[in-house]
Amino acid sequence: MNSSSPVLIESPNADSTARSKSYFAFRLIEFILGGVFIYAGAIKAWDPIGFANDIDNYKILPWVIGVRLAFYLPWLEILCGLALITHRFYVGGLAILTALVSIFMVATIAAKIRGLDITCGCFGHASKNLNFSWHLALDLVLLATLLVVYVRAASGNGLSLKKNPYDQKT
Amino acid sequence: MNIRAPGFFIAIILSIFALASARAELKWEQTALELRPAVGDKEAVGHFKYENIGKTPVRFKSVHSSCGCTAAQTQKDEVAPGEKGEITATFKIGDRTGTQVKTVTVQAEDPANVTTVLTLKAVLPEMLSINPTFVYWTAGEEAKPKTIRVKAGKDFPAKNLSVTSSNPEFLTKVESASEGEWKINVQPKETTRAMAGALTIKPDFPKESPKLFYANVSVTGAVAPAPVRVAPTATPGGH
Amino acid sequence: MNSRVVRQALVLVALAFVPAIGQAIYFRDKVSWQSPIPASESVTVVQARAWGANAVWLDARPDEEFARDHVPGALSLNEDHWNELLPQFLATWSPEKKVVVYCSSQSCNASREVARKLRSEAQLKDVFVLQGGWEEWLKSKK
Repeated sequence: MNSSSPVLIESPNADSTARSKSYFAFRLIEFILGGVFIYAGAIKAWDPIGFANDIDNYKILPWVIGVRLAFYLPWLEILCGLALITHRFYVGGLAILTALVSIFMVATIAAKIRGLDITCGCFGHASKNLNFSWHLALDLVLLATLLVVYVRAASGNGLSLKKNPYDQKT
Repeated sequence: MNIRAPGFFIAIILSIFALASARAELKWEQTALELRPAVGDKEAVGHFKYENIGKTPVRFKSVHSSCGCTAAQTQKDEVAPGEKGEITATFKIGDRTGTQVKTVTVQAEDPANVTTVLTLKAVLPEMLSINPTFVYWTAGEEAKPKTIRVKAGKDFPAKNLSVTSSNPEFLTKVESASEGEWKINVQPKETTRAMAGALTIKPDFPKESPKLFYANVSVTGAVAPAPVRVAPTATPGGH
Repeated sequence: MNSRVVRQALVLVALAFVPAIGQAIYFRDKVSWQSPIPASESVTVVQARAWGANAVWLDARPDEEFARDHVPGALSLNEDHWNELLPQFLATWSPEKKVVVYCSSQSCNASREVARKLRSEAQLKDVFVLQGGWEEWLKSKK
């Protein structure tokens, strides 16, 4: 699979209607997923000081680092969400988001074990009311969706990652 | 990245999640409650209902709140399997305004140590907003009147305002600025010595027992003030 | 293929710096970059004691805690009895005084709330929250 021309292998029994249906369904998932991260990032970018305090509540990072992360992470999240939607820097965005959600889940579990009083902060202070299990469930769903999208892009339907996925040129 | 990696990853996360939730035996109907007390309410009470859905009794090790203003009580110390109960959080409003968020931390044991944080959000009604709540003159400053703006919030349909001063050396005059807005002009008779007073602002709402508000005035300076009663005039049924 | 992921990720990581730095510049004076409480709004015990008679100490803790023990000369001012306690504090206040508000420890919110109300409602200047709170003051007494 070292050719320089785009590779788009069709399975011999591919039904063009079925393929375009699953293509659009998949596109929809990407839009929603990207949208969720853009929304989450925007809420945090709107109130960086609040986010800095939320990060500080986890008592994992010193304030000096946390406050700088509070200004940086939301934008990274927004850009990666955009990457999913626009298919630019797609796999990079996917990898970063997967890493972010995983790290965040581990931090949340760690804080819970330590008995810390944390209000998530992932959706800004709007999510103050969601409790621990719901938050974890939400993140699990996000993580699972991200991984499904990744697996799809890496294999399913024979699309090669050597080029932008869904590259329709022949 | 190996295609099998995601599956492995998911398995790890799922098992952590399963582990975390398996130990919880108390199911809470809601762990966050939003209350909207009415004008004149002294307390806001939240009932956090729970049920023991596990097979062993759950014992409450400690129930304590984030501040002295919220009393949290549990009716029973031990909850048998299948039993239901509630933790009652009583938030004493006091002189607070705005939206107040208080938490109650419940530590349960048997079989496992589980900490649950219950959140009580009290959205207090917008009553009168007084800006500023304190005006002062420095000794020797010209005794010109200063203005305090009062605005009625949407939950507070007051039509009239009356103001009394605890210290007769401070003169007050109320003028209506617009619907639900007033200007209180205060002026000390003189600023030669230090003195202080409290203004009691009485709106005509609620009709049966109008809620009282306060502002403070003073002439500051190094001269020892003549003994003056500075506390606001208390009325029965007030705070 | 791995290098592709890394390359793209690095581009995104680098691009995110642009709006982040822009926002940080916009907020540069509004954020405390070194410690959780803005530097101009908090004070250490040592500093506060150095102000001597020029400082007015306010105890933001509940009445029972104040009654049990408090900084000598401190006045009680908490949210439960704000209207009742505020006048006696304001009667002693003058513009050159520095107000030091404390409560039970660094993470207790009462002192920050009281300080905020004094700054925004009563419009007082020079209102500070005591770093480390009551515990820190006790330590400095020894």
